[in-house]
Amino acid sequence: MRLITKTTLLYFLISIPLLIFAFVYTFSVINEEITDGTDEGLYREKLNMQELIKNLDGARNIYLRSDSLTAIIVLPGKKKINSFSDTVVYDKLEEGELRYRVHRSYFFHNGTHYLISVCKPGMEEEELKEGLIYCFSIVFGLLLLSFFTLNILASRILWKPFRSTLKKLDAYDINAMSEIKFDPSSTKEFRQLNTSLDKMTQKIISDYRKQKEFTENASHELQTPLAVIKSKLDLLIQSKKLGSEELELLQGMENAVQKISALNKALLLLTKIENNQFKEQKEVNLHTLVNAAIVTYSDIYQGKGITSRTEFKGETILRMNPVLADLLISNLIQNAFRHNKENGEMRVELDPEKLVISNSGAALNISADELFERFKKNDGAKESLGLGLSIVKSIIDTYGFGIEYTYIQGQHRFTVKFN
Amino acid sequence: MKILLVEDEPELRRSIKQFLYEEGYVVESADDFAKATEKAADYDYDCVLVDITLPKGNGLDIVKQLKKNNSKAGIIIISAKNSLDDKITGLDLGADDYLPKPFHLSELNARIKALIRRRNFDGNQSINLNEITILPEERRVKVKNEEVSLTTKEYDLLLYFVSNKNRVVSKNSIAEHLMGDHADQADSHDFIYTHLKNLRKKLSEKGCKDYVQTIYGIGYNFKTEG
Repeated sequence: MRLITKTTLLYFLISIPLLIFAFVYTFSVINEEITDGTDEGLYREKLNMQELIKNLDGARNIYLRSDSLTAIIVLPGKKKINSFSDTVVYDKLEEGELRYRVHRSYFFHNGTHYLISVCKPGMEEEELKEGLIYCFSIVFGLLLLSFFTLNILASRILWKPFRSTLKKLDAYDINAMSEIKFDPSSTKEFRQLNTSLDKMTQKIISDYRKQKEFTENASHELQTPLAVIKSKLDLLIQSKKLGSEELELLQGMENAVQKISALNKALLLLTKIENNQFKEQKEVNLHTLVNAAIVTYSDIYQGKGITSRTEFKGETILRMNPVLADLLISNLIQNAFRHNKENGEMRVELDPEKLVISNSGAALNISADELFERFKKNDGAKESLGLGLSIVKSIIDTYGFGIEYTYIQGQHRFTVKFN
Repeated sequence: MKILLVEDEPELRRSIKQFLYEEGYVVESADDFAKATEKAADYDYDCVLVDITLPKGNGLDIVKQLKKNNSKAGIIIISAKNSLDDKITGLDLGADDYLPKPFHLSELNARIKALIRRRNFDGNQSINLNEITILPEERRVKVKNEEVSLTTKEYDLLLYFVSNKNRVVSKNSIAEHLMGDHADQADSHDFIYTHLKNLRKKLSEKGCKDYVQTIYGIGYNFKTEG
């Protein structure tokens, strides 16, 4: 639920008991005031009646209303009466009950005891209630409307810096290594939020940079000792005193050193791609790269007897770093050759929207998601470094391309989408 | 042939010195920037090997100095940084080649030989080895004066062997030499074997002696002496 909905709901919940209280209070006050007013009128009426009695010729009953609510009645004796009361009378005209306020009082004149009864139509509580409910409904509606408008305005204006901060965080890419410039805000809380976020991102950037520099430096530092080992092995294998046993040991070392070199090189390459160190961008013709890679790997894997086919539609020229473009194409094509079966086939389809490379081969025993992760490799490829597709992925990410892998009917298929 | 080696890592310096000495070169070495510039200024060399990262200086400045003094020496940069920028800068400054660490000594040897060949004879020189004649400029090979038609890889393999003749060259170094960045241990041995088989066949068809000796698992020796 949005914050604005929550606050509106909260105001709404609070306003209900407040309005109920206000309703009850208003009703009782109005009721009292109206009754007081009626009673005052009845009192004046009574005084008029007393004047009437004084002007009468003799003592007699006078009924001014059929229901004897306004009447002068001669009493047999003295009676202490002075009351205000409410009465309900059926009214034929109105076809309904009407409320009356009745004032009864005792009056003594010329030796005669009188009961004076006067009445006035009383207040219609139901009508008052209805009126009040109507009024309160309007007030309630207006309140809701103003809560809502206020909240929308507040959210538009007051929460603007917050939304801007959120937007910037959303769009933030740590790889760009740039600091986020938050919009200044006059709201204290948002200023605090921005300051905290500022500190946090700076820390993240500095840690990230250190970590990247570490990987790069470590890889560079490894090159020299590796060069030493390699050179010593090169010298050692020249020795004429070596027997087959020693040579076998040396071969193991030689291969291991070669593998470390290759790993180190690939890791360094990955770091450089991720650090955006391949800055130069120019128009690269992918057809040329695909053809060159096929020539290279057909040669290298000629023992496997793989047939390759290409289908080019239109010119595919992309603005890329030439080294990365070459790495992307050659890694994918090498992959299609390496993980192919004997006398298998591979096919490259290229058009300006996408590159599809498919090859025959046994199914993977790792999941397709893991395929692009570093050092994840299929069981059948123990000798492989497990970095080729990671390099492909990081180039894809650098250029915002998409890559998909599917395995259908014995065919591995990689689809690179350029948009 | 005189070579100046500028390298600060003592063990690597020793290895390179020993290997090149056995190839018959006179090798002078310098372990820091000052000594290197001094030696480069005082003597003439056929070839200078320069490490880029040096104590108290940058190897690229040595390249600059050599070029300023109109040195005739060929220059090979050996660097731990396999960066394209360094490579381009180095070559722009006038270096002839760029070899990233870690490298095989046989690769370094082949590069030095190619460089010296290009420099001293403008490439118009044939390499004669018993019945084999290689014309590097035209990438042609003759056996007993008869043309042998080789593929690019077979030619590269032969030249690599000849450059490192009477030396054991490891399979890995051959793979790196022939395949460059595409080298992959898993697949390279079959690859070398196939090309070597074809090369041997083509050479022997023309009556060439089989000089290639297999050194148990590890590599080969192109043996022209006893």
